[in-house]
This record gives sequence, C-alpha cells and structure tokens, in this order.
Amino acid sequence: MTDRAENLILALPGLLLLALAFFLPIAQMLVLSVEGANGPTLEHFVRFLSDPFYLGVLWRTVRLSFIITVICAAIGFPLAYIMARVGPRARLWLIVMVILPLMTSVVVRTFGWMVILSRGGLIPALLRDFGLVGRNFALMQTEAAVVIGMVQVLLPFMTLSILGVITRIDRRLEEAARTMGCSFLQTLRTVVFPLSLPGLVAGSLLCFTLSASSFVTPNLLGGTRIQVLAASIYKSVTQVLDWPFAAAQAVILFVGILLVLAPYVKMTARNNG
Amino acid sequence: MVRAVPTPLRILAIVFVILTGLILLAPLIVVVGVSVSENQFIAFPPQGFSFKWYEKVLASPEYLSAGATSLQIALLVTLSATVIGGAAAIALHRRQLPFSDILATFFLSPLVLPTIIYAIGMLMFWSAAFGPVSTFTLWIGHTVIALPYVVRTTLAVLAESDPFLEEAARTMGAGRIQRLFHVVVPQCIPGLAAGAFFAFNISFDEAVLSLFLRKPGLTTLPVQIYGQLEFSPDPSVAAVSSIMIALTIVLIVIIDRMLGLSRFAST
Amino acid sequence: MANVRLLDIKKSFATLQVLHGISLDIQSGEFISLLGASGCGKTTLLRIVAGLESVSSGGVEIDGRSVTNLPPEKRDIAMMFQSYALLPHLSVYENVRFPLRMRHIGSRDEQDAHVKAALETVQLGHLAERRPRQLSGGQQQRVALARAIVSKPKVLLLDEPLSNLDARLREDMQVELIEIHKRLGLTTLFVTHDQEEALSLSDRIVLLNAGRIEQQGTPDDIYARPATGFASNFIGSANLVPAQIIDTPGGPAGKLADGQLLPLPASETTRGEANLALRQEDIALAAVNTDGTLKADLRTRVFLGARNRYVLSLAGTTIRALTANDVLIEDGAPVRISIAPERIRVIKG
Repeated sequence: MTDRAENLILALPGLLLLALAFFLPIAQMLVLSVEGANGPTLEHFVRFLSDPFYLGVLWRTVRLSFIITVICAAIGFPLAYIMARVGPRARLWLIVMVILPLMTSVVVRTFGWMVILSRGGLIPALLRDFGLVGRNFALMQTEAAVVIGMVQVLLPFMTLSILGVITRIDRRLEEAARTMGCSFLQTLRTVVFPLSLPGLVAGSLLCFTLSASSFVTPNLLGGTRIQVLAASIYKSVTQVLDWPFAAAQAVILFVGILLVLAPYVKMTARNNG
Repeated sequence: MVRAVPTPLRILAIVFVILTGLILLAPLIVVVGVSVSENQFIAFPPQGFSFKWYEKVLASPEYLSAGATSLQIALLVTLSATVIGGAAAIALHRRQLPFSDILATFFLSPLVLPTIIYAIGMLMFWSAAFGPVSTFTLWIGHTVIALPYVVRTTLAVLAESDPFLEEAARTMGAGRIQRLFHVVVPQCIPGLAAGAFFAFNISFDEAVLSLFLRKPGLTTLPVQIYGQLEFSPDPSVAAVSSIMIALTIVLIVIIDRMLGLSRFAST
Repeated sequence: MANVRLLDIKKSFATLQVLHGISLDIQSGEFISLLGASGCGKTTLLRIVAGLESVSSGGVEIDGRSVTNLPPEKRDIAMMFQSYALLPHLSVYENVRFPLRMRHIGSRDEQDAHVKAALETVQLGHLAERRPRQLSGGQQQRVALARAIVSKPKVLLLDEPLSNLDARLREDMQVELIEIHKRLGLTTLFVTHDQEEALSLSDRIVLLNAGRIEQQGTPDDIYARPATGFASNFIGSANLVPAQIIDTPGGPAGKLADGQLLPLPASETTRGEANLALRQEDIALAAVNTDGTLKADLRTRVFLGARNRYVLSLAGTTIRALTANDVLIEDGAPVRISIAPERIRVIKG
C-alpha cells in the first residue's frame, strides 16, 4: 500500500459521509425548489419575489441581520482587544464567559431572554421604575427583543473571530506607535483596527449569515408578528407542508448569503493567491 | 509600558466587560434562578425557593424520554464523528492527497452553511430516498455538523506536533499500521478528545436540525423545550434548561483540563 | 555493521538537481563524515541512504544487497535526527525500546537488557522513567543516540546531531561519540557543516560541493593536501594569494604581485599562474625585518581571547593570520610575515 492509498482510506469515510449526507441533500433541495406539476418551473421563486408580504419578510431579515452584525462588531471589537491584552488568568475567565453561551443550546438561551424581556421581566420593570415607559410595556414580540437575543447568541462568534486575528498582531507594533508619539486611542485607530480588519470582516460575515438564517430566537422572541425568512421556511415545511416553496425560500436564503460572501472570498483569494 | 492605557479608559474597559458579561450570561443566570422558584409563574427574580420543578422534570415521561433520545444520539454521534473526523484529519494533515486545500474546505463546509438550509435539504432528501425519518437520520445529520469540529481540533493538535516523528518511526522499523497506532494516533489524542466533547455538546444541544427531522416519538430534549416554550411554559422548562447548562459547564471544564481552552479561542 | 555502497546517485527535486552522481564505498565499521555548506546535498544524501528520499537514478547497497527500493523500515538502519524526534508520549525507556518493539527484536527480557545497556552507554540510566519534555537539550540528544544504537543497526546515520548544542556540550558529545564508535564499531554516516567536527570524529571525510564530491580522504589527507581552491577554503582556514610560480637559483618560488618571492619546497612541480594556499595558523608574524620574511601591511587586529587574528594586506591581497596571544604588534607598526615552504599548498585553479 502506498502512502497515498493509506491517506485515501483514512479520508474516505468522511468524504463519503459528506458527499452522500451533506451535498446530496443540498442538491435535492435545489431540485425540489424548481419542482412543478408539469416539470421544472420557477413559479415558487416568482411567488416569493412578487408577494409584498414575503418581500417584507426578506427585507426585515436583511435589515435585522445588518443591525445585529453592526452591534456585534461594535461590542466585539473592544471585547476582543481587551481579551487579547489582559493576563492569562483573566483571559481564561473571559474566554469561559464568551464560550459558555456559545455551548448552551439556543433554546435555553432564548428562554432566558423571554423571561427577562417579558411583561413581568427585569428590564421592562426597570424601565417602568425609571418612569421611561408606560405600564403595559413589554419588550417581547418586538424587533428590539429579537435584536437583543440575537446579539447575545452571535457576539461570541464575532469576538472569537476578531480575537484570533488580534492575538497575532505583533505587540511591538503598538509599542512602536507609542514611542512615535501616538496616544493609546490613536494607536488603536491607526494600528490595531486596520490590522484586525480581516477578523472583523470574517466575524461580520459569520454573524450576518447566522442571523439571516436563524429562526429559533426570532420565533420565540418576536412571535408571529415578526417573521423572518427562516421562520417562514419552517412554517412552510411543518405547517403548510408546501415543500417546494420552502425549498425555494431556502435557495433564496442560500443565494443571498453567497452574494454577501462572494466578494469576501474573492478578496481573500486574491490576497493569498 | 508606562501608563499603557489611560486610567479613565481602564475603568471604562472594566465597566464595559462587566456589562458585556451581563449580556452574555444574564439569560443563563435567569434560567437557573427561575428553576428554583416556588411560584408556577415564570418570573425573575424568583419568589420562594424550591426544587419541586426538578422533581417534576425527573418524573416526567416526556422529558425523560426526550432526554434519553438526546443522550443516545449524542453518544452515537460522539463515536462516529470522532472516528471519521479523526481519520480525515490525519489524512488532511499529511497533505499528500491531491487538492489538500480544497479537501480541507470540503470537510469544514458544514460549518459555513446555515443549519436550517441543511436541515431542509436533509429532510427532503431522506423523505424522497428512504421515507420517514428515524433515529438513524438524526444520527447521520448530527454527525455531519459535528464532523468539522473534530477535524478542526485534531488538525490544530497535529499542526503543533513534531513533523519528523513518523520519519523517525520508519527508521526504527515501524510499518504503516504500527506508525498509525504508536505514533500518529497518540499525537492526536488531545485533539480527538476535545473534538469528542465538542461533538457531544453540539449533538445534545442541537435544536434546528432536530426540529426538522422529527416525528411523534422522535423528540430530542431541545425540541421538547422548544415545544413547551411555544405554548405553555412553567418553571419545569427552566429546570430542564438548568440541567443542560450544568452539563455544558462540566463539558467546558473537561475540555479546558484536557487541552486548554485558549487553544480554541481563535475560531 | 556493514559496508555501504553508493552507486552514482543522482537526485532532483522538481527541476532542481541536488545530487549529480555520487559514488562512494564505505567499509564496514568506518566513520564517514559528509561535510559541506548548506545546500550542498549532504542531508539529502543521508536521507537517501535512510530511505526517506528516493533516488532519481543510481542505487544504494548495504552489505552487497541492493536496498534502493526498500522503505526505511525494511532497511536495517538507525537514524539520529537534528531535532531528536523523541516520541513525547513515551518515557525515555520506552523511547529507547521502540526500535526493538517495532522490529520484533528479542524477548521482553532481552529487550530490557539491551535498553538498559544503551542507556548506560550514554549515562542516562537514572532518567529512564522521565518524559522527553522533562529533559534538557543535551539529555534529549543522548536519548536519541541511545535509541539509535540499541538495535545494533547495520548503518548508523546522524543528521547534524550536535548543531543544536552549545559549544561546551558539543565538545563533550564529540568525545563521547568517538568513544562509542570505538566500542561498538558501527558503520556510521555523519552529516555536518562544521569542518573541525568532521576532522575530529571521522575515519574519512567526504567533502561535498553543490551536489558533487569535491574531495574525500582521511582528515589528515584533506587538511594537509586540499586538492582544490574550494577544499582549501573550507578545511582549515586558508588564504589564497595569486602568484606566478617561477624558478629561482634557490629553487621554485611564488612571485607575488608586488614582486616579493615566497620560497616553495624543491619538490613543487607546478609552474606558471597559480594560487598559494596559506593557512592562517601557519603564518608567523614578526616586527623586525629578518631574512626570509616578507613585508605586509597591518589592517586590523581582532582579539579572540587565547589568540589574535590579524588582517593584513600582502601584495594587494587581504589575508588573515592567526597567532597566539603573546605576539603583539602595535597598530600602524610595520609587519613582517614568514611561512615555512612545506606549509604552502600550490593550487592550480
């Protein structure tokens, strides 16, 4: 047996599993999205893209994802920098703090937000106490609730992505900038931020992709009034049982994500190639 | 550095970290708090203190069977993902297969694709090819999404290993299989172990995939929780969730002990 | 122990040819150094003997048997890597036992005896239960050596094993290697870029230059009689001074660019344009103008502790001389140099 044969045997189960149980299902979904009574058709896509309701769902999904991504970036960048620059003890605790939500089930996390944001929950109570809102204020079933819940879910992804890049920035660059007269904030702006952009971009793409395709959190926190694309897909599959339409929506989601990712992939390929 | 960070910024940073910590951990703390409430209404801070919801959960046939299903699948997935993923990582690390880079991306692709898209595809494919879903379907689906984690942790460990060890083993007379078992696999073990625990955690917590690939009688724990949340939650949901949080914490501690979490901080 | 034959070995990596036809006969029990600068192909050659690289053409024979197409595990060899390559998950004892296990040599008790003997040879018996990461660099290196000799291989291959050690440790290990070789008599192939190391350890030195054998011979041979400009530059620290070899009433002499004459041994037959190889340590310096000395200009003096290095200009060529510390020439003082005729090598080209 040659070395190559040995490596092929080692990789084969994984290759087969992914080919048959991952790529094939995706292909099946693509096929189903154009299935019609009389052969392949684009009617499902047309139906989605010409209905203002669904377009509204799409727009809401994109808009919310964008807001969530921006908030995650704004919080994630300073957090990642702090994590990178503190001592190892503190960093370990911060990593645990960030990873713990990541490793709990999404239903558990969302449940926690439901409690906090509902009518009797902490935050509305606090806001009421400060006289900022009226008596019946509830954050549940609002877009704000969805954004807050999603930010908590996705912040770890953004933070870890940026952290990976910042830890590789040579600390001496910052030191050099300081010896050349930059203040701490100037150093952040002129040295750290530009160098951490790759992590920021990768994290943003990850956040955008994940928020555009999530439905557990938006469903539970937003309720039926705030519907996002993924929730619509779930509904089509489980309640309406219109699978081709669900597949078409999934394809639209997939294509949308690819559109966002494509320029990034091209950019990194050019840098690496 | 002298006065590396100006003091006001330092204080701001501390406040910032505390607030962020609150955002990240508040839901979890709240869930645990609710789980010990006396009252049957879900509210935080909880009123009273009682373990009765835990008792209720541990006596409830739906929760117990859902938990058993989750556990069974998670264990199966841990086994399959670790073996398949570990073998793939070894092959990838050696970089002797054609298109090594493309293959590496291939193995990590389930991470990139949103789970919901995969879930739909899997449901449609399985129904068309095999009919109704079963535990087997969930096993395969969970393995697919857990696989990249095992590959990644194992590759990370292999990347730090001495590249001359296998050559040295050859000069010492070790044949192909001997090298795999006496040199390569021992090198991988920290990565395999961490990957195994990640795989268990991912499978146990997985909600989206299980929501699509279910049928009456085939309910995992997260799905059971989701169902309760949609309709009529009482604090027993909080009790179940707290148990899951405890399980996660145990897993994190184990992974840190075995490998050090910092190694996987850069995702 | 076995003899090794390298038969016109050529090796190319992609479009780059690294070895241009190496042929070598190594007797059983010989200690051969493969000496050369980085990139000359010495490590590639060693790896070819090990079986870690294949040949592009040519062959390798061990004890008369062709092993060219055999993988490393089927050749009866042992190799010591520059980075030691100790198995981190095994103890020192298990590391040394590993070749015996893999090759199924001996019963468990016999293996135990072999391992203990090997560890005693390198004086590490007391560390048998430690893990490699708990050892210092020098100790790890000895474990690697013990592991290489424990299976009594036909050929022992050493890839710059001492280059990661600091100077003092390196000297100690060189002495140990000589003693171990005397005791075990294994056929040994030793790769190094350090000519002093090669001179002190080897039965025979093979000097490689850009994938070809420049010269081979005993240390004494190569040191005293380097055959080419490259060889004399590499071994011993020689200066090359261009000269015209002419006949004079006193015998052959080298006429330098400024007309000064350097007497050569009567046996010297070369005439015409050539280079004179003058070893740094052979050049004597004096402050006074006595018979038989030549004039040179002093550039710089470098203090080396036990010795001084003088950078001089002789007939327009910059040369260096290495002398003991008690010879002190003032900066700016006129310098006379002399060198015994038999110490001068005439190199054509």
